[in-house]
Amino acid sequence: MPNAITGRERVLAALRNEPTDRTPVCNPTSVATVELMDLVDAPFPQANREPELMARLAATGYTELGFDTIMPVFTIIQESSALGCKIQWEQKDNWPTVKMREPIWEDVDDIVIPNDFLTHPDAQCVLEAIKILKKEYGDEVAIIGKTMGPWSLGYHCFGVEPFLLLSLDDPGKTKLALDRMKEATVQFGVAQIEAGADALTLPDHATGDLVSGEYYQRYLRDLHIEFVERIPIPLILHICGRTVDRMEYIAQTGMAAFHYDSKNEPEESMDIVKKRIALVGNINNPETLFSKAPEDVKAEVVKNLDAGVPLIGPECAIPLQTTIENLQAIPEAVQEWHREKTRTARKTL
Amino acid sequence: MRRVVDIGRRIELVPMDPHFNDISIGLYRQGANNGNDTAVFLVHTYSRISGAAERIEAVVAAMQVLGGMLKNADGLLHFPCNSAHETACRRVFLEACKLAPDAPAEPRPLNILDKKSQLTVTVDSRGEGIYRVTVEGEGRGATRRISAIAGGLAKLGEMEPLATDERDTVTFACTQSHDALVGLLLTRAPNVRVALREEEMGAARGVLSAPSQQT
Repeated sequence: MPNAITGRERVLAALRNEPTDRTPVCNPTSVATVELMDLVDAPFPQANREPELMARLAATGYTELGFDTIMPVFTIIQESSALGCKIQWEQKDNWPTVKMREPIWEDVDDIVIPNDFLTHPDAQCVLEAIKILKKEYGDEVAIIGKTMGPWSLGYHCFGVEPFLLLSLDDPGKTKLALDRMKEATVQFGVAQIEAGADALTLPDHATGDLVSGEYYQRYLRDLHIEFVERIPIPLILHICGRTVDRMEYIAQTGMAAFHYDSKNEPEESMDIVKKRIALVGNINNPETLFSKAPEDVKAEVVKNLDAGVPLIGPECAIPLQTTIENLQAIPEAVQEWHREKTRTARKTL
Repeated sequence: MRRVVDIGRRIELVPMDPHFNDISIGLYRQGANNGNDTAVFLVHTYSRISGAAERIEAVVAAMQVLGGMLKNADGLLHFPCNSAHETACRRVFLEACKLAPDAPAEPRPLNILDKKSQLTVTVDSRGEGIYRVTVEGEGRGATRRISAIAGGLAKLGEMEPLATDERDTVTFACTQSHDALVGLLLTRAPNVRVALREEEMGAARGVLSAPSQQT
């Protein structure tokens, strides 16, 4: 292994399940904070709608925090906006959300991917931001894009309750709906590859609180296998919550990595996936990163490293008021852990 | 090159300053737990837009008046007793940020009208950091209000009850008087639950929930 590999090489090697000089620090989802927005004068909501601001804010994950990745797609609503959903864009200190009480589709036959889906300003913003980042940082770090899976799009476009009821009442129609919506996932994913993305996060919120592992197998496993075939780039599946009951199925998809929640223990998760898929994430957001001290963050990083988790990062998009010092503690802990390992190995020799 | 520097441990944040271009303003603690004896506090913004530095100066000046804090040669704030009083300092910071730039910062009096009981509440300094809550008038529940307000002061200022049978008296562990600080805390003490709930709600903003948890 060469001594000085780039963050990009490090991340991509880990996603291929190859050895690296040290464990990469990777954020498959946002690490934007209000203070970083001020630092580079790129506040929400503009940084979600203007490519230059989106790129500038995203770059701080590398330039200020020291991550091996840059991930500019802070929100989970860019393509839903392009599909026609109504968006509450909010202010600097809050996340934009889809107005799911005003769904755009009621029936499977309503599902139409608009012709201007990829040229919609909120899709274009992502594509342009990736181009800017690729040009400026593409040799140094991995540029990670994001394309939402059809289950998440189902929540946004039908509303959470109607979509879940559909899945209970009419599995056939649900599968048809997922099949139609998946085209948006593929189109947006492929467009981001063309823009320069090195890997893509694919959130598909079949979350542990609402959907069982059996549901995942029935509705999503095969679709996710199809995404691996049709989107030719390392994919990082993201599902929030306790998901050990579906990790076996997730490991069968061929996805490069699973972005997993702190509700799952690193060791039990590693035991299930057995290196068939890389794990990344697990550093707790609402308690540890948001309100605890850097030492607590470092303890969670070490727990993941000790379990053999191959990429380290927060479990999900971090709270916007997270302290910068807690985020910087993640790469610091990784470096410290590897230094200690090297010291111990030398002593043993 | 990194533009973020080690400025201490952030203990409070106003994510959007309503009085200056929605910039974020943070309160950072240095000192005591950074190797010095004195706990000192830095008010800081990462914003570099024109006027941001002046806005920070205004907040620092307001904290000196509202909380009776002092500014050292490095521009860092501390209490005259050199104790941290971290919870109280956070409250001073939040109130200073709320103050409109055109409103002069003035020390708050040690008496207020308690809207709930319609009694006038006074806090008397007994020296050595001891404060006693009294009320004028014999409205219903006066004793209970005294106890509640003393409890509010204790919670907001990390003060302690003087003795178990004196529920009207609280004291600072540093045994020093902090009249300006107590005057400031007194405005919130009658509704301490509301104050704390406001804080919690503010902190909860910006936490992303999964689509299944959104409406």
